[in-house]
Amino acid sequence: MKYVIKKFITMLITVFFVSFFVFIAFQIIPGDPATAMLGTEATPDEVAALRVKLGLDRPILVRYGEWLIAFFFGDMGKSYSYGISVKEMIGNKIPITVTLTLMSFLMIVCVSIPLGIYLAEHKNSPITRFIDGLNRVIMAVPAFFTGIMLTFIFGLVFRLFTPGGYVSYERNLPDFLYYLLYPAIAIALPKIAMTVKLLKSALLNEAELDYVRTAFSRGNTTRQVIYKHILKNALIPVITFLGMTLSDIVAGSIIIEQVFSIPGIGRLLITSISNRDYPVALSIISMVAFIVIFINFLVDLLYKYIDPRTEG
Amino acid sequence: MESIKKNKKLMAGIVITSIVFILAFTGKIYTPYDPNEMDSTAKMASSSLEHLLGCDNFGRDIFSRVISGLGNTMMIALGTVGMGVALGTIAGAVTGYYGGLLDEILMRFNDALLAFPSILLALLFISLIGAGKYNVILSLGIVFTPSYARIVRSEFLRVRNLDYVSSARLMGASDARVMFVHILPNAYRVMLSTIAIGFNNAVIAEAGMSFLGIGVQPPDASLGRMLSEAQTYLFVKPSYAFSIGLIIVLLILGFTFISEGLEEI
Repeated sequence: MKYVIKKFITMLITVFFVSFFVFIAFQIIPGDPATAMLGTEATPDEVAALRVKLGLDRPILVRYGEWLIAFFFGDMGKSYSYGISVKEMIGNKIPITVTLTLMSFLMIVCVSIPLGIYLAEHKNSPITRFIDGLNRVIMAVPAFFTGIMLTFIFGLVFRLFTPGGYVSYERNLPDFLYYLLYPAIAIALPKIAMTVKLLKSALLNEAELDYVRTAFSRGNTTRQVIYKHILKNALIPVITFLGMTLSDIVAGSIIIEQVFSIPGIGRLLITSISNRDYPVALSIISMVAFIVIFINFLVDLLYKYIDPRTEG
Repeated sequence: MESIKKNKKLMAGIVITSIVFILAFTGKIYTPYDPNEMDSTAKMASSSLEHLLGCDNFGRDIFSRVISGLGNTMMIALGTVGMGVALGTIAGAVTGYYGGLLDEILMRFNDALLAFPSILLALLFISLIGAGKYNVILSLGIVFTPSYARIVRSEFLRVRNLDYVSSARLMGASDARVMFVHILPNAYRVMLSTIAIGFNNAVIAEAGMSFLGIGVQPPDASLGRMLSEAQTYLFVKPSYAFSIGLIIVLLILGFTFISEGLEEI
């Protein structure tokens, strides 16, 4: 319990730190929002009036506090470009990105853990050597290029899906999930390769330790030793890695959404950056950052559960 | 030297990387055609002796564009790594050598930066300072600094109390001299493989950002930017996208082998 509280406090500190950093950055660098909204022909009086209206004349710390509280209550301000609330713009895009992230994460876990165990069990077979080599190549292919290759092979040659034919989840859920399948594979493939490599070497390292010999000498079968003894220890570094991967996927989906023309959070972020629509960019970046911090917190908790020796 | 020759991974990495470097270097001084020159008679031309990889939708020679774009991508990656290593080394050396409160503050800051997915942080910087070649180097350089700082710091922590460091200090060497002349040369081994991985991350990050249209801006060519152009013509001219992708993969594979080889030494 002490561990949980400690990690929770660390998480809160990180949230404050990161949000403060991001907020300040967006206040200082882009120039004055009032001038930006009114254009270059505005008189100084008009700018001053709008600054008061927007509350920009007040101290920055006060504005930060108000922004943070409003943010957590779902009020993220208004888009400069479209004049509608950011919440409205983001709201129906969140399920898309979340689904994509979860699908690829599920693929990573379901494929890499059994595969890693299999490769460690058969470390000298030709299949293992082949997969090791394949892994190295897959790791070198950036996800967006994998996405383009999948589009070409499955979309254009085999015609299993229509490139760019995204279907909204509100219209047809199965079609929506099917369309997300390919981008999810593109995100998952390099991560699967990395996880398999990590798990395999962790398993092989563990297998050399004394407790494994002891376990064997007590009459356990290979299977029992692997699943009851080695796996639990070997999974510790893998979980850290998967936690990092999950936050990577959230960020990586920004690019993949562009490759497959999926109107998710990532595409909105890119559009808002190109249009200098700061409230939208600020909200999305903070939101993704908070999600990542929260994932890290969960990983820390999971860590303690798997390895009670962990000290906070 | 013998051990390097026997190290197959390192050799493979050096060979692949040299080929890519030579291509990139050639692209900087000579390309068969001007990479930005449009020839309306050669639009979407297929591969021939005249145009090795054919031409794109504007009739620009793809081979010339690929090797000049490769040069830009590599320049950005090298700039990023250079900046990250320089800043990271200073931060890591100072914090590792002196320790104390400064170390605590910088390392907490480091942790916060590391918790951020790198592409998101780079996007944050780009949304503030705008797109463009040098801004990409600046933002990626800052983004990758913490990973180097951490490595250098741990090396400094390890050796700062060793005998040779104390002797150097007793002989009256200044702190800066002890840090950069005595300790740093011992840390380079650990740093090399991190740098190789960092180079790969920089290539992927730059290509990704240019692919999104917020990295290198036209008329400069970059592999990521060309890949996004090539994607539009994927059906009519798949070789365009694949040649760019292949170059990116070779570049990354080369450095992966080098980094794995270095770890075995």
